[in-house]
Amino acid sequence: MMNLAQQLREQAKKLLEEKKVDLVIGFGQGTELARNTPVFIDSPEGVSALTWGPFCANNLAKYLVDYKNDPGSTAVVVKGCDARSVNRLLDDNQILREKVVVIGLPCPGQLEWQKVSAEIKPGSTLKEVVDNGDSYTVKTDSGDYTFNKKDYLLHRCLVCENPNPVISDITIGKEIPVKNYEERFAEVQDLEKLAADEKNEYWNKQFARCLRCYACRNVCSVCTCKVCAFDQMQPMWVSKRTNLSENTAFHITRAFHVAGRCVDCGECDRVCPMDIPLRKLNVKIHKDLGELFNSPTPGTEPGLISPLGGFSPGDPEEFM
Amino acid sequence: MESRVVNKGQISELLDKLAKDYNLIAPIKEETMTLFRRVSGAQDVLLDYNNSDISPKGCFLPQNEKTFSYMYTGDTLEINKPVGTQKTVLFGARPCDIKAILTFDPVFDGVKFGDEYYSSKRESTVIIGLSCAKVLSTCFCYAMGGGPCDTTGSDLLLTEIGDKYYVEVITEKGQALVDAYSQIIAKQDTAQLAKDKDELAKKLSGEFVRKVDLTGVKELMDNNFELPYWAGDDQKKCIGCGTCTYVCPTCHCFDIFDYTTGDFTGDRLRCWDSCMFPEYTLEAGGHNPRPSRKERIRNRFMHKIKYHLDRYNMVGCVGCGRCVNKCPVNIDITKIINDLKEVAQNA
Amino acid sequence: MFKRLLEYVGFEPGRFKARWLSGSEGAKFTTTVKEMTEKIKSLGPNKKMRDDII
Repeated sequence: MMNLAQQLREQAKKLLEEKKVDLVIGFGQGTELARNTPVFIDSPEGVSALTWGPFCANNLAKYLVDYKNDPGSTAVVVKGCDARSVNRLLDDNQILREKVVVIGLPCPGQLEWQKVSAEIKPGSTLKEVVDNGDSYTVKTDSGDYTFNKKDYLLHRCLVCENPNPVISDITIGKEIPVKNYEERFAEVQDLEKLAADEKNEYWNKQFARCLRCYACRNVCSVCTCKVCAFDQMQPMWVSKRTNLSENTAFHITRAFHVAGRCVDCGECDRVCPMDIPLRKLNVKIHKDLGELFNSPTPGTEPGLISPLGGFSPGDPEEFM
Repeated sequence: MESRVVNKGQISELLDKLAKDYNLIAPIKEETMTLFRRVSGAQDVLLDYNNSDISPKGCFLPQNEKTFSYMYTGDTLEINKPVGTQKTVLFGARPCDIKAILTFDPVFDGVKFGDEYYSSKRESTVIIGLSCAKVLSTCFCYAMGGGPCDTTGSDLLLTEIGDKYYVEVITEKGQALVDAYSQIIAKQDTAQLAKDKDELAKKLSGEFVRKVDLTGVKELMDNNFELPYWAGDDQKKCIGCGTCTYVCPTCHCFDIFDYTTGDFTGDRLRCWDSCMFPEYTLEAGGHNPRPSRKERIRNRFMHKIKYHLDRYNMVGCVGCGRCVNKCPVNIDITKIINDLKEVAQNA
Repeated sequence: MFKRLLEYVGFEPGRFKARWLSGSEGAKFTTTVKEMTEKIKSLGPNKKMRDDII
């Protein structure tokens, strides 16, 4: 994987030297061994900060929106899931195709950094990561640690649909076959089986923990409203109060606002400081969309009409 | 002040008694989270944990607080304030979080202004701290004047040593509590335990992996409000959520609003707010003095490292590391401090 | 879609219903309202997302 990082740096350097882009947004080493942090490289010398590996869980696509009005172009490093975000942002007219250069890296799965960190001696320095197919070996100055993917990958990676970026101007790395450790809708189906009051109890418990920090909303690449409904004070759709009623309102409303455009990048779930399983909410909508409208995951191709944004005569009409 | 002992085997008995006599707030495990919640007995209390996901500041500054309710009775507006505060025990808070509560005192219970909602809770709460057994890679309390076994701010501090808890009585409040439960919090010879605690503190102080050096940082910020550093990567990657402020034990910003439930009837609420939200400084006329993430990031870190010191002579960060842990994009106050130190040196 | 989402988070089936009615479908309106009223009465008071529970 270090080899791929090197190739990435070379490509980024070339883009900046040839002034094809003014900025490269990519992954850099974070302040914990198992973390990355977004980096914004605007000079060819700066590309040494770029890195790649299984600690690059962030979806960087949304940052493109910040640079939409800048005169030059911006390059962004994406994995498979993030690339769906790029397509969706293009379709939402949030970014312009000619001002974006997509550097795509096929992704063999991202590790949950907290789980990995708990096993590694604090203060260790990362030397190398080796992809063994079903596991990763993280080599550090305090020893080698192996993590099997089934137990240490982010849950969204266990059901990954697109390990290979669906849009890419420069692809680095070989194509990776789809490998699922679980059936995509298994989690949702388990919840669907419960009785109404059991579902109620489950979700009440989750939503009661919500701090309304809005990390989920802010990280979401399809939440791009300039003035969000939940920030409005007149009318005050929700207040700053974090009781169960308002928290539930927030989550259901947001899930529905993004329905049909959510690309299932899983960032909302990853960033939640209270471990609320938000993907279980959004993936339910994906399941329903598939059943009702036979639509693929949004962002899988550019130009897909959102199932809730378009109409075809064969659409189900249960409300008539 | 004196010190006592509680046998590990009796801690459940103590917690059960405390739960009966007080509003007992202790760490609990909820799925993957460790949180401070009211408990009904020892069975719910989590004793073996690192630190909670959000701080126990909610005991003194709840996320949602009804300051009063109002009702229009036809010719007058009736205002009803909540009465009385339950006597509370906050059990199991770590020294960093307890030190953070001290940073609230000058703000909410200060010389010129007092907040009765805060003060009444503060007065009626006994804080039983629990020394750390482990240092995490995100911890850096030592750099902020604290320590894993620091007694500052506790009424009682418990330290786990072998099969006992070494109990240090720090305040009168703490003394009153141990006197009330003398059966369990027993008077014993604690000379060896005191030595053991010192050993533990020394051992833990060697385990910090985060090197944080504040040299020259405050002076730099005192003289350079418009530092180019603030236009750098941190404000570019920040997504503007409120995670850092909500998990932080020293953050205390709030919003006050009325929640109307009928004709001139409703509640006035005080809820946590975050300076990282764009609307935080949005004025009624439409102007926003902190229009972009650059100003908001600058404000947050200057508040922690400079403003709180200026105003109250207390550093605004206790080094608990929660923000470092929870920030979705790995914005790290320790990195910022070290970067600023370099900027100061190169100036 | 929304109905399915609401049921997924714990609203009882039948608590929420969406119906397309035009101004000239008076009879359909009446039957829909009557059916819904019956259904809600049989379900009892709604326990989710109540404002009186802090």
